[in-house]
Amino acid sequence: MHPSHIRDFCIIAHVDHGKSTLADRLLELTGTIPPHQMTAQVLDSMDLEREKGVTIKASAVRMEYTAPDGERYELNLIDTPGHVDFSYEVSRALAACEGALLVVDAVQGIEAQTLANLYLALEADLEIVPVVNKIDLTAARTDEVALELAELLGVDPDEVLRVSAKEGWGVERVLEAVVRRLPPPRGDPAAPLRALVFDSHYNPYKGVVAYVRVVDGALVQGEPLLLMSSNTVVEPLEVGVFTPGMTPTGRLEAGAVGYVATGLKTVRECQVGDTLTTVATPATEPLPGYRPVKPMVFAGLYPVEGEDYNALRDALEKLQLNDAALVFEPESSQALQFGFRCGFLGLFHMEIVQERLEREYGLDLIATAPSVAYQVVLQNGEVLRISSPADLPDPATIKEIREPWMRVQVFTPADYIGQVMEVVKRRRGIYKSTEYLDNQRVVLNYEMPLAEVIVDLHDRLKSVTRGYASLDYTFDSYRPGDLVRMDILVNKEPVDALALIVHRDQAYEKGAALVRKMKEVIPRQLFKVPIQAAIGGRIIARETVSALRKDVLAKCYGGDVTRKRKLLEKQKAGKKRLKQFGRVVIPQDAFLAVLRLEED
Amino acid sequence: MHTRLSSLSVYVHIPFCRARCAYCDFNTYAGLESLLPRYVAALCREVELAGNRWGDFSLATVYFGGGTPSLMTPEMVERVLNALSLAFCMPPDVEITLEANPGTVDGHKLRQLRSLGVNRLSLGAQSAHDAELRLLGRIHTWGEVVATVQEAREAGFANLSLDFIFGLPGQTLERWQETLEAALGLAPEHLSLYALTVEEGTPLWEQIEQHLLPAPDDDLAAGMYEYAEERLAAAGYSHYEISNWAREGYACRHNLTYWHNEPWLGVGAGAHSWLDGRRWANLSHPEDYIRALERGEMPVAEHERIELATEMGETMMLWLRLAEGADALRFRERFGVELEAVFGGELAELCEVGLLEWDGRVARLTPRGRLLGNQVFLRFI
Ligand SMILES: Nc1nc2c(ncn2[C@@H]2O[C@H](COP(=O)(O)OP(=O)(O)OP(=O)(O)O)[C@@H](O)[C@H]2O)c(=O)[nH]1
Ligand code: SF4
Ligand SMILES: [Mg+2]
Repeated sequence: MHPSHIRDFCIIAHVDHGKSTLADRLLELTGTIPPHQMTAQVLDSMDLEREKGVTIKASAVRMEYTAPDGERYELNLIDTPGHVDFSYEVSRALAACEGALLVVDAVQGIEAQTLANLYLALEADLEIVPVVNKIDLTAARTDEVALELAELLGVDPDEVLRVSAKEGWGVERVLEAVVRRLPPPRGDPAAPLRALVFDSHYNPYKGVVAYVRVVDGALVQGEPLLLMSSNTVVEPLEVGVFTPGMTPTGRLEAGAVGYVATGLKTVRECQVGDTLTTVATPATEPLPGYRPVKPMVFAGLYPVEGEDYNALRDALEKLQLNDAALVFEPESSQALQFGFRCGFLGLFHMEIVQERLEREYGLDLIATAPSVAYQVVLQNGEVLRISSPADLPDPATIKEIREPWMRVQVFTPADYIGQVMEVVKRRRGIYKSTEYLDNQRVVLNYEMPLAEVIVDLHDRLKSVTRGYASLDYTFDSYRPGDLVRMDILVNKEPVDALALIVHRDQAYEKGAALVRKMKEVIPRQLFKVPIQAAIGGRIIARETVSALRKDVLAKCYGGDVTRKRKLLEKQKAGKKRLKQFGRVVIPQDAFLAVLRLEED
Repeated sequence: MHTRLSSLSVYVHIPFCRARCAYCDFNTYAGLESLLPRYVAALCREVELAGNRWGDFSLATVYFGGGTPSLMTPEMVERVLNALSLAFCMPPDVEITLEANPGTVDGHKLRQLRSLGVNRLSLGAQSAHDAELRLLGRIHTWGEVVATVQEAREAGFANLSLDFIFGLPGQTLERWQETLEAALGLAPEHLSLYALTVEEGTPLWEQIEQHLLPAPDDDLAAGMYEYAEERLAAAGYSHYEISNWAREGYACRHNLTYWHNEPWLGVGAGAHSWLDGRRWANLSHPEDYIRALERGEMPVAEHERIELATEMGETMMLWLRLAEGADALRFRERFGVELEAVFGGELAELCEVGLLEWDGRVARLTPRGRLLGNQVFLRFI
């Protein structure tokens, strides 16, 4: 297909505004997926995505479209996730496109990630087509939201498309707009090959499968390729496009989006952001590539069974291919032995990574309490970067501890300003300013320590605003704070993996709430187990898990023997998800108790 | 391989009840009593088929359990007993137990049962408080329990067992103590005291799920159990199994077969058997069971071959329920290996945490271990 008849675009929006549903309609209308194979949010192909009803991975798909004037086009669509924790997926997708559909829910209006993703798209020089979705809902404020969008983008309100992805209203117009308003692919079909690797996954038979956008030249199976920054030669096993399954074509022209099965078995050689060129006539300059990801939250991931350590490393390497926002390095803990310190973009990301590792790689894992990265200035002037409270050096050697502060934007209906202020104040937030989006909705600007943001701030805000608030945050600076390390002792032994760093003013309250929560989640054992919070060796809070008194099957007669044995087998298997610390078993929930202090 | 024992215990299941109790998840049905005549015929047929295969066994015990076996007429009981004595050798000292619910028997019927050779009666009393009996959905009152015991004595039953349940939602220690005193007042030879297990799907479970009733308090139930242990010891009962007490010489021989993990044959709907290294279960619905036998087929639903390692674990789980404990000598006789060699690690560990006593010859639960039996058993499974 000539580049003038190709369009590469993505769909971006705040979470749940209907990107994947709109993608469904486009796939249907172009006949890419036959009606009988259609399911809701068909591009959300991972089990986890379907269970949670959220897009986690960006997915690419090629469509063929015949415009009303009879011209035929190749459309390469990338559906992106909306959740703030997956913004790295969005930014990588953007680099493979010339345009974006910016979808906004007609009831919710502009929200935090609407803006955040829009700015990412504008930075990447993309042409934007604004779309108001869900106009079928009775509460839809279609005209208002269209007007807001037009103002935001500086376009005529008539240019804002109005659709119901669910009902299929106005979807034809979307395709027409894609063809008419978005530019054809940049790049030079005659130049030496340059293809951007924007994503990948690992396949046991085909090795690393790189997802590529061909910018210049053409990619042809049989021609040896070169990954420019890792300087690795690749003999592609297969070249093709997503329809949305992998369909071999043998060839990808300039402007095409598709995949290259590289056959590479180790994962380091093929990083996202790298450029593929040919060995025969290599390009001189690689494509710009990606900004490396900056993780926000860190936690240890440990195998419940020590012998799974190597399997975990292998799984992390493979998962990283499909989740470029994941970083990890080996770590050891007294309590949990050997594992990995992993960096995530947020707690949801962390949860997804843990679940994917467990499901896709059959591992049984314990995640430690999440932490942000601190800067520790020592008396001798040295500055350490610490992402695990257990690594904090002797307080006597510390001059100052600095923590990351964020610029935080809270989008909320004006009615809830008071409640939002209250939540933010409790979390050491500093109020900066208020902007009115319209006479109903405001954006509140704050500065707040990241440590306070990651601990369910989003959920708290949602719960005090009846679900209306949305949140975005970006790094501002490291600032010194009166921070101390709090140790948690279980059965009188400090458990390093449970230590945390807290602000001195919150220490008592947090310590008490934490041991109370831990008492709820640590199962009763054969002896009583004291749980204490301590700062610098001084106990500031204590609870006791009383000893298990009764656990016995009252009846066991002839008919029951098999059943009783199976019950016991089940009880025994249940124990596997617990981690033994000396004589005490601690379940996963205890490590995450710190996240749930405000629940009740 | 098994040593073939020459004596066998037979369990006869009667899966019918007047009404379903609120806590019950047994294989039993209310409102199907009209099936009884065909059911008894099927039972006799199954006994006959079993006799063809295992007829050279001599019966040590027969146990009519349920359900409510006392819903059978004495004639029905007689037919089953006749079938058994035709199929197997039935020595004169055979223990024949029948479970009865107060309110389903009277003096006349009890006398008839006694004269048929039934020599042990197990009465489901459950509580001495009528309010608790109602909570449990029982069809009888405490007054009827007292009357039935009286009638049983008059009918000549010298071996009487009473069942009680403790740890009921909302039950206090005092109420339980009153029940125990009332029970002792009836001077039974044998007592079974069961901590209530709230089984999923039962009406009681649903009420607790919906917060209409408080969930039973395990710690309080533990206190009730310990109280009962003390009180019954003082009254001269020996605590021979986790939930069972008896006067000297009155331990239930039939149930001891189970806890010794020795072979038994179960007949009737849903009954399980354990013979020749195999465990099997019959079809559980009485209609299915009857139809299978009427077609001349064996009414077996499930079949499991028990591997030696599984059998060792199960044997420990069962032996340790008994006060006599797990005997190393008997273990070696049965399995040809030393107990220490198979379970040495588990035994030592359990000793260390105070759940077990183990002197190299016999392993027994400690008093604490009796309350935490699962924590012990799981190590052997
Ligand atoms: N009424 C109505 N509901 C819609 C419409 N479009 C999407 N939805 C619903 O909105 C919810 C979210 O839709 P998705 O398509 O998964 O939204 P998304 O933007 O892909 O969500 P993420 O990828 O998780 O950010 C689903 O329950 C959809 O059925 C619409 O036009 N009308
Ligand atoms: S009498 Fe016994 S078997 Fe029948 S329903 Fe009640 S508890 Fe269950
Ligand atoms: Mg989606």
